[in-house]
Amino acid sequence: MEQAWLLPGLTFGAFTVLSLASLTGLARRIPGGGAWLSIAAALVSFVLFWPVAADEQARGTHSFAIPWVQVAGLELTAGMAIDPLTVLMLGLITFVALCVQVYSTGYMRGESRYSWYFAALSLFVTAMLGLVLADNYLLLYIMWELVGFCSYLLIGFYYDRKAAAEAAKKAFVTTRLGDVGLLIGILLLFRATGTFQMSGVFHAVETGAIEPATLSLAALLLFLGAMGKSAQFPFHVWLPDAMEGPTPVSALIHAATMVAAGVYLVARSYPLFSAVPGMLMFMTLVGLITTIMAAGIALVVTDIKKVIAYSTVSKLGFMVAVLGAGGAGFTAAIFYLVTHGFFKALLFLGAGSVIHATHRQDLQELGGLGRKMPLTASVLLIATLALAGLPPLSGFWSKDEALVALSQRGPLVYGLAILSVFLSAIYGARLWFRLFTGPAPTADHESGPVAEDESEPGTHALATHDAPVAMALPMLALAAMSVVGGVVALPAVGALVGMPQGIGSYLFFHEPEPFYFDAGVAVTSTTAALLGLFVASGLYWWRIWSPAALQARFSRAHALLERKFLVDEVYQWAIDHIVLASGRLVALFDRAVLNDAGVNGPGVVTVALSALLKYTQTGRLANYALIMVIGLLVLFAAAFGFAM
Amino acid sequence: MIPIQQVLTISAGLFCLGLYVVLARRNAVLVLMGLELMLNGVALNFITFAVYRDPERFLGQIFALFVIVVAAAEVGLALAIILRLYRLRRTANVDEANTMRW
Repeated sequence: MEQAWLLPGLTFGAFTVLSLASLTGLARRIPGGGAWLSIAAALVSFVLFWPVAADEQARGTHSFAIPWVQVAGLELTAGMAIDPLTVLMLGLITFVALCVQVYSTGYMRGESRYSWYFAALSLFVTAMLGLVLADNYLLLYIMWELVGFCSYLLIGFYYDRKAAAEAAKKAFVTTRLGDVGLLIGILLLFRATGTFQMSGVFHAVETGAIEPATLSLAALLLFLGAMGKSAQFPFHVWLPDAMEGPTPVSALIHAATMVAAGVYLVARSYPLFSAVPGMLMFMTLVGLITTIMAAGIALVVTDIKKVIAYSTVSKLGFMVAVLGAGGAGFTAAIFYLVTHGFFKALLFLGAGSVIHATHRQDLQELGGLGRKMPLTASVLLIATLALAGLPPLSGFWSKDEALVALSQRGPLVYGLAILSVFLSAIYGARLWFRLFTGPAPTADHESGPVAEDESEPGTHALATHDAPVAMALPMLALAAMSVVGGVVALPAVGALVGMPQGIGSYLFFHEPEPFYFDAGVAVTSTTAALLGLFVASGLYWWRIWSPAALQARFSRAHALLERKFLVDEVYQWAIDHIVLASGRLVALFDRAVLNDAGVNGPGVVTVALSALLKYTQTGRLANYALIMVIGLLVLFAAAFGFAM
Repeated sequence: MIPIQQVLTISAGLFCLGLYVVLARRNAVLVLMGLELMLNGVALNFITFAVYRDPERFLGQIFALFVIVVAAAEVGLALAIILRLYRLRRTANVDEANTMRW
């Protein structure tokens, strides 16, 4: 549908109005801070998504473009391509964005820069919608950078807090490392094929018009970009730090925008990646390392948001690993991305609800909230079970397809994937049990350093309340999707929404993947998840085992997890000893060679020489005249000498 | 007719005398007079060559006239400057007019 540009167009309009209003200070006069404008744009986008999806089903993949740049020898178009992948992403983005924005009206109430917050959210959504609609790599790259920039704005929303400002910088710089790779990769492809159009590039790949070496390099560089955005090892370090942003922003970043961009890029460029031998295996490898590592860290982190953040890293690694599993993996990974978007957004919104109610986000200071916050507890339970992948929740169907795809990659890959399922059940359940069961934290925790933002320390427990309506509705909507979002994989349900053979017949690479239910895989993964839940219950609910004893028993492993596998330390060392050292070298060159010798040098020499020359200026007329005469005589002598 | 060498010697002598005065004297008025001597030497040189080598066309004489005219103008200007200098400094010593030096 040609009107698909309205989706990002509307949200961009909201951004323009709100950012101008908040810059000029007019926003204070708009009722509700103008949040309704941003929400209305997201709502209309979400409503418009349906005709776009229906149109895609009726007409199939289609694209349209307008001329963009026309200079000698180069004609660029800015266009949109709509195919099943784009449609799924559009639906996910608009839905999650709508939920997050409605939720934000409750969560961010009374915040200074309230309007600017919504402006930035709108721009973020615009960039992400543009990213999934773009039909050429150049436009995609622009949107890609815009997504990174918006995440910088929002992670650093509380820019007066040092940690937030640094987290924003860290996110921006870390993802930039990958972005540079992406840009070089895109330019390599442009040089090899002469076009930025994705369809043109893929056609060249299929006909073998690109040299294998160039193709491999370009694919690797593109994947580098995806690794940065989707927080794959070793670029995952920015994501947990990004928790410094407001919680609804985390939900948006982790579910629909930013991190989804990397997975989307890999899926979008799948013809490219699958044409490079070994590339898919490499993706699986990177993904598995990421997923196991992050799941391990999530077991020991005590900040609720960081637990969920590492869970996201782990799940993103899982998606990338699945993407590396060929055609079936392609479908499964995107399916997983969508269902993950629902329950991950729900997890964050639920966590935000807890933080909103208690002003605490450390597990050691929280507990026993189940009775005070029944709604939050129940939606978080749904999200946790979906995360663990229990049937019949959405996480089960998507994870199951993913595991089927991975099981074709050999027992080791499959075993590690099952391990990650087991671990995610543990950390998810640990979070839930520690938040909602057990005794409320003791008083000595209450008087911890975080308590100072309460005016009266004692009132905290009484003031704890469940989510207000503005926050509850989006959580319920997301909870509903977390429950039913997965069943479209079933042919019977898929037929109702135009996917007669399940999602595999709608979204596929090369050929449709018929719905395939492997009882063995389903039983294995469900057993692993149940086992994980059982272990977590034993540790944190029934308390028949002691987590502290476990920590003492495996103290070295625990320390390694607590220090997050030392990745941050390695980066710090590299920055201190490599980046700064070479920076000092460059600074020395700049100061000594460029500045002192190059710029000041001529000046110094001139001054020194003129200090000598000034003595020739005696001020005596006779001297000057004498020198003139001598000069003339010399000239005469020379002239005569020359003549003779 | 007097040999050309003798006339040229007188002309060169005049010029050198003027040059010496310009270089050696401190009084601005005397320097100016030295300058006039040099100009006269030059003018005599012009006329000598004109008369001895190319008597038909009076080119040298014309140059001499120009020299005299320019010299007159120059003296007028230079005397005015010297007058100003004297008013300013109460002296016409050229060595004392050295404020433009480093």
